[in-house]
Amino acid sequence: MPNKQEETTQFIVEQLVKSGIKLVASLPDDWVSDLIHAIDTDKRFTHVPVNREESAIGLCSGAYFGGIPSLALMGASGLMTCVYAITKINYSYHIPLFLFTTLRGAIGDPRSHHISNGLYLEPLMNSISLPHLIVDEREKIARIPDAFKHSQVMNRPTVVVFTEPVLRGEA
Amino acid sequence: MELRECFEYFASRQTNGIVITSAGSTSGMWWKITHDMDRAFYLGASMSMISMFGAGIAMGAPKLPVWVFMGDGAFVMNPGMLMVERDLNLPNLKHFLVSNRVYNATGAVRLPNVQRNDYAAIARSVGIERVYYFDSLEELKSNFDTVVIEPGYTFTVLEVEPVREKAGGVPVDDVELKFRFGRYIERTAGIKIFRHPATEPVTGNKTA
Repeated sequence: MPNKQEETTQFIVEQLVKSGIKLVASLPDDWVSDLIHAIDTDKRFTHVPVNREESAIGLCSGAYFGGIPSLALMGASGLMTCVYAITKINYSYHIPLFLFTTLRGAIGDPRSHHISNGLYLEPLMNSISLPHLIVDEREKIARIPDAFKHSQVMNRPTVVVFTEPVLRGEA
Repeated sequence: MELRECFEYFASRQTNGIVITSAGSTSGMWWKITHDMDRAFYLGASMSMISMFGAGIAMGAPKLPVWVFMGDGAFVMNPGMLMVERDLNLPNLKHFLVSNRVYNATGAVRLPNVQRNDYAAIARSVGIERVYYFDSLEELKSNFDTVVIEPGYTFTVLEVEPVREKAGGVPVDDVELKFRFGRYIERTAGIKIFRHPATEPVTGNKTA
């Protein structure tokens, strides 16, 4: 019988399917490693592990021109490194992009090296007007298709940001 | 080899495939030679991401030849991209590394470790099987069919002289380029890219 975390992971996966996502480019954060394993073994997706997060931005932006709905999946630190890629490629050319990331450094995160993510990830996203949905309770997972559609409607990137309790199936 | 003569030859051999260029001299020179706004995407200031961008297109349009011309200034920022490319091994993706050993577009300042960088060896070290190196137009011409026309992912170093002439920019609006390029792919590859999400659900094409 699946535990709460497995159930939550599967619920997220089903929202990706509902969104029409076919391609996932990822670089792990330990909070999303279960999700990445689930995607990797699910035949409904093509999963591409990348060498750095910017490569996921490039691949998914190109996939748009290949007609493939895609997701760039990364941790908060990775997203912090992608500001140039997102603003240069996706903002300049109006290319939709759908991202998942983690709310590292938030209250409850025991890893002190994520302090900068806790302090600056949300202000950073706001500073570049990057639309985002913070999923801090299970019910909000069902809004993933809306977030994906938003990126397509607006021709801009949209980010879904997960808290740790949600990913663990505890919220 | 001069970049201009190299690109003139590529342009003369281009059929229905698409070209993606990186910042600076590759974009400027391809535009100068072709003035193409349909089969070319000039991903200016893209800092090493064009081969991943090309891979994304190649996955969705597997019968469309995708030529990526990346400067070595971009390559040194992200050589790990080759590991992803090798994993994907897309038969319609051709990665050309335009090596002039300088950051040509920003004042011809030399690259790090410039005399020792062996780009072909880097590619081989990650398991890429079809790696080529050309420093003369004659060599390129005589091997063109093997490298470019035959299906299969290839990584090719084009060793060229730094461009002396000002390549200039690409005077094309970014959003206009998006639609012209995308419409060309739709027509040629028979795939759907542009939809209005309110009325057309995003179902997507299968990946290659």
